[in-house]
Amino acid sequence: MKRFLTSLLLGLILGGLIGLYFGWVQFPVEYVDSPMEDLEPRAKDDYTVMIATSYHFDKDGLGAVERLRLLGVDNVPEYVQSTTERFITNSRDLNDIRLLVNLSNGLGRLTPIMEPFLDLTGGDS
Amino acid sequence: MSQQNLPPPPPNSLPEQPQFPRHRTRYNRPRTYISRWGLAFGLVFGILFGLGYAWLIAPIEEFDTEPYQLRASDKNHYAVAIILEYQQSGDLARAVNKLVELRLGSDPIQSIADVACELASTGYVNNTSGLNALRAMKTFYQLQGRNGCADLLVPEIDSADTQVVEVIVPTNTPTIPPPPSKTPTPDFGPQTPTPRINVVPTVVAQRDFEGRIANTFCDPQFPALIEVFVVQFNGDGIPGETVRVRWEGNSSLFVTGLKLERGESYADFQMEEGTSYTIDMPSLSDPVDTPLIAESCFTEGGDESLKSYRVVFRQVE
Repeated sequence: MKRFLTSLLLGLILGGLIGLYFGWVQFPVEYVDSPMEDLEPRAKDDYTVMIATSYHFDKDGLGAVERLRLLGVDNVPEYVQSTTERFITNSRDLNDIRLLVNLSNGLGRLTPIMEPFLDLTGGDS
Repeated sequence: MSQQNLPPPPPNSLPEQPQFPRHRTRYNRPRTYISRWGLAFGLVFGILFGLGYAWLIAPIEEFDTEPYQLRASDKNHYAVAIILEYQQSGDLARAVNKLVELRLGSDPIQSIADVACELASTGYVNNTSGLNALRAMKTFYQLQGRNGCADLLVPEIDSADTQVVEVIVPTNTPTIPPPPSKTPTPDFGPQTPTPRINVVPTVVAQRDFEGRIANTFCDPQFPALIEVFVVQFNGDGIPGETVRVRWEGNSSLFVTGLKLERGESYADFQMEEGTSYTIDMPSLSDPVDTPLIAESCFTEGGDESLKSYRVVFRQVE
């Protein structure tokens, strides 16, 4: 009996570890119906660039702010500024930077680090 | 004699040692420290407990939500952003790839038509920004040969509004009056009677509006509902228009614009399951050809509901 109980305990420990590995690592819970603010950072950046692209041509600042507010940011101009500066600092795609600088400028948040990129957009903005 | 007293010669093998190996039994198997059954039971229960704990009790926190995991309303907004970007970049492959990743449906372009239809039925079109977005979506799916109810609900861009007309202001420049000249009088010859044109009065057109079923939908929250939109030929909503629904010798009249949260062109009617209805605008339109029947339907999630209709009456130009 002692031998059985020892084996049972050993099995429980091993099985528990295997179950936790599959439940947390291999097949974790997949969430659906998530709000926009829970988007992964890459998708948030992508969304922001899409809105900046739209703004670059239609100059609809209010529409851009309303759409970016869905990301759950309280201060949209500040969010755009920080995103733009992060893009510049990380040497992201130049076209994306230009679009973001244009949007940031449109929202009254043009910082010195952005100015060189604004010059590039001067022709068509 | 002496030989008879001798013991028999020893056998080749001892009698207690079988010539063939015997099957091991639980009584002669060498004992180990592990019980197979104990280990098996432990593993099964341990895995079940581990999975239950990891999935139900302490699931991992959500921190990397992909766009396809968004709730439906936010997916729609994400789709709008994709189309707005496409409108400016013109990169169709990029837009379609993003829509596929968004997992809106099996046909991502038709899904955009459906999203546009859904947004056009709400207050999304009440501002210029939303209206422009819906127009961009319309252009996107129409170019790919799809259609949706937004075709009827979203007004086209009125070119007259946006067209720049250059007005040349006349300036006061002195002009010299032409000298009087003698103009010859034409000789018409003999007078001939002009034929008299009889204008036959025609019946005034009875069809001021044309009705059609824009689409049907299956929503457990709005089962067996007829949503009616009465719009001008350019898509602008018309409040205060009377719509009539008839069924089995009964009829009901209702008026657009009473539910302003759905727009001034909107009115609705609740059907009963299995009953066939016809809908028209009294003395302003013919009845819609297809009878409206609240049949059973299933949502994409597998929920059962009753089919609802979206009907648009558009003013005949």
